[in-house]
Amino acid sequence: MSAACRRLDAALASSDADAIAPERPHAGSCARCRERLRAFDEISAAAPGLKKSWESPDHWAKIRESLAREAFASAAASDRTDPTAPTWPAWLPLAAIAMLFLVSFVGLQVFRPSLGDRQIFGVRTLTKDPLLTDVALMDVERSEADYIRSIENLSKLAQPKLRAADTPLLVSYREKLQLLDGAISELNGQIEQNHYNTHLRRQLLGVYAEKQQTLRDVMKGATS
Amino acid sequence: MEICLGEPEAPMPPRGTENELLEGYRAGDLDAFERLYEMHAPRMKSIAWNLLGNAGDAEDAVQEAFLKIYRGAKTFRAGAAFSTWTYRILVNTCYDALRRRKSRPVASSLDADLAAGRGTPAAPPGADHPLRLALEKAVARLHPRHRAVFLLFAVEGLTHGEIGRILGIPEGTSKTFLFEAKKKLQRWLKPQVSGERVAAS
Repeated sequence: MSAACRRLDAALASSDADAIAPERPHAGSCARCRERLRAFDEISAAAPGLKKSWESPDHWAKIRESLAREAFASAAASDRTDPTAPTWPAWLPLAAIAMLFLVSFVGLQVFRPSLGDRQIFGVRTLTKDPLLTDVALMDVERSEADYIRSIENLSKLAQPKLRAADTPLLVSYREKLQLLDGAISELNGQIEQNHYNTHLRRQLLGVYAEKQQTLRDVMKGATS
Repeated sequence: MEICLGEPEAPMPPRGTENELLEGYRAGDLDAFERLYEMHAPRMKSIAWNLLGNAGDAEDAVQEAFLKIYRGAKTFRAGAAFSTWTYRILVNTCYDALRRRKSRPVASSLDADLAAGRGTPAAPPGADHPLRLALEKAVARLHPRHRAVFLLFAVEGLTHGEIGRILGIPEGTSKTFLFEAKKKLQRWLKPQVSGERVAAS
């Protein structure tokens, strides 16, 4: 192995193009170095082909969701681990239930048609941290679902009375509720196709509010 | 053939832009953090794919890395290279994933991607090189540290200085690892390289 071979080996080891270039002519006259240079060049040419590229459109959404969950969990954990915090009083579960109703009410107010978009965006700017805003919005959506579930429960309670409707007033309530159920199912179908249509969501909550009032009237009639 | 390992194809983003976005994020602007994601995620996914071998694990690793970045970004020392710090977190996350993987059986990369409903990644420039598949398999056989250096230098085009900061090793060690990696790759790929020459002639 000559000095030129050693210089080429050193240049290849450094992977420095400027160091390799002056040693290339030697490879023309040396079979061993020609082979080494060729292998080096082949790998150099193929290496960029290892770069991967693919679309993952929901990747950022997943990261954002994880960040929101983590922000929420860490806020909850810091509340739990605060040594100066008082111990939980016995009335806390009741207060939590009351809070749930309050949040449901707020959720309903936010999505009522008369208030318009202005107030919805007002809620969005309540917090500086966009993740916490996301968490608040998730809370509202959850409260919305709880609210709907509570109306459905009320509806189940009213069913025996409606099935045995024996006065014209109860019969008309029953027909009104059937119409409202039809409207709810139609709106749900439309929302399925467009989850982000807040107008439809507001309409749905409006119909649910009407249903709740009607059921209240039915139940009031049942107890009076 | 004049192509040489280490020629940067996609240089790291300007530090000024990164720092501005970082400042924006610290001020509570999540869009700035999303912009940082957009700047770095494609390269990070590529690095993670080559370290972990499939798109699903790569996306999970990038996601985990971004959670760590989010936690640490508020205390990140301004003036240091954000991209270097980011890639360092990613590579360590991939190493953790590889350690966890040792304790459970792993499906092949293609199986895993097909099972997850993903296709194979889009072909990059040079992907049709006849040696690519053999090189990919050979790179997967390298020691993780050697593999990381080879990928960051030869595939991603980073300098030894940047690689040293990402992997927490001296620049000279990065050069040594690259030399070791290339020696092994040349030895393992010798039949393919010779075959190509015969086919070409």
